[in-house]
Amino acid sequence: MRIKRFGKLERVFHLFLMLSFLIQAATGFSRLFFPTSWGKQLARFFGGYETSLLIHQTVGLLMMAGFVVHTLWLCSRINWKNLRMSFFGPDSLIPNFQDARHLLQRMLWFFGLGSPPKLDRWAYWEKFDYWAVYWGLPLLAITGVMLMYPLTTTRVLPGWTLNIAALLHRAEALLAVSYIFLVHFFIGHFRPFSFPMNEAMFSGSVPLEEAMEEKPAWVERLKKEGKLELASPKPPSRRYRIVYFLFGYTALACGVYLLINGIAYSRYIRLH
Amino acid sequence: MNLRRTLMKAGQMVSLCAATVVLLELSVFLGPASAQEDVASAIRRYKEREFSTGYYEEYEAKPLHLRPMVGVSAVKTRPFPYTSTGAQIRVRTRLADSHRAIKFYENLKCEFCHMRETKDIHTVIANLTCRQCHGGEPIASIDHFYSPLNPIRKQAYVCAKCHEGATASFADYVVHEPEAGSSTTRTSFPSLYYSYWFMLCLLGVTLAFFVPHTMMVIVRELFKKKGKGREEASDAH
Repeated sequence: MRIKRFGKLERVFHLFLMLSFLIQAATGFSRLFFPTSWGKQLARFFGGYETSLLIHQTVGLLMMAGFVVHTLWLCSRINWKNLRMSFFGPDSLIPNFQDARHLLQRMLWFFGLGSPPKLDRWAYWEKFDYWAVYWGLPLLAITGVMLMYPLTTTRVLPGWTLNIAALLHRAEALLAVSYIFLVHFFIGHFRPFSFPMNEAMFSGSVPLEEAMEEKPAWVERLKKEGKLELASPKPPSRRYRIVYFLFGYTALACGVYLLINGIAYSRYIRLH
Repeated sequence: MNLRRTLMKAGQMVSLCAATVVLLELSVFLGPASAQEDVASAIRRYKEREFSTGYYEEYEAKPLHLRPMVGVSAVKTRPFPYTSTGAQIRVRTRLADSHRAIKFYENLKCEFCHMRETKDIHTVIANLTCRQCHGGEPIASIDHFYSPLNPIRKQAYVCAKCHEGATASFADYVVHEPEAGSSTTRTSFPSLYYSYWFMLCLLGVTLAFFVPHTMMVIVRELFKKKGKGREEASDAH
């Protein structure tokens, strides 16, 4: 028996973000690390310094469009008749006091004090993952557009704002890349509970036993509401599993490749 | 009821698709619209010319708000910052020959003294040489009245060689960025300094929390007996 966790559109959004993020990270790194031999190699793969910028800009615009579409979709999901439930209910991604309590409880549990928190559908780190995009993407988008149209920007703002924009763009990109490739990957795939892969984002559902272990409050709530038996999604087919395992691990390999080389070559570049 | 929900879902999908198409179109067709602005108004055109050339009707000066927030912090500004002898000149930003009275000047290279200035994007990535912007000998100080790098004409004489359509405001970009994290930058370019430290703290705090957090999760789950949680969960129900 399985529980549905992500809808089709949600998974498409994640896939889109995954692909565009990897392309942005690789093309961005090819420019940031251009003074080094590795950066030149990477730039050559994307067709050179200028072409990688073109790719970076195009994918960046697509990402912004995706961000707006996602936000519109998010607004369409608000239940206007029951706003309180919609914003602060257990299915909402908005952080609340419960999350702070869970965080504290979990910290204590790390050191063997107390029991692990009874997580509901979204754990606090999953909520952070989600909202991190909401602070990172607009910052990257605004500074990116500023750098993309410097002449238009400097009609409104003084030129030295471009210095700040470049610094913020790089620093935020490095933050995003290091967070995704270090934290998000490891919590998604490499911790013993979800090794070799957390399949929920690709298959859309999780086995009941897994959910019971990780998100007991969620399962309990579904049981109480009688929604558990209502619709049990089919397990993903073998072929589909092979496809997303290959795809996921390719993406992971790309990310780790960028991260390791980025760290190795970081002493030859400057952030600003 | 079911039909209504299906219809609503379909409506949502259609509006999502429409929004995507509109956004994509906006990103494609923005170009021509800004080009048409060129013939919009004569006054605007004149203002743009003023703006980009730096020549103003009555006086030659830049609007105050465009000054970059960069100054030389070590230099005290006095009514006459020069002494009578050239050898004692400390402020070299207003001379016809900025390297006047430097001993053995012919044997020196730019980077011997201006190391930091050779490490920004224009030199490292665009591979520009110093002379491509600063000109040949004698190199005028950037604030000298006739210098091509004087802020009143820099955009037209230097920047526009590569950046077509560069304006005075555009030329306020600080090519030789100071070290963003250093304490001298705090007085010379505070916004750069503070945004650097803000981002560094953000990076530090995020990673300092989440990396140990992830590691603790991994360690804790390794030492947990397999299936223990499952039994507990099934016991509870």
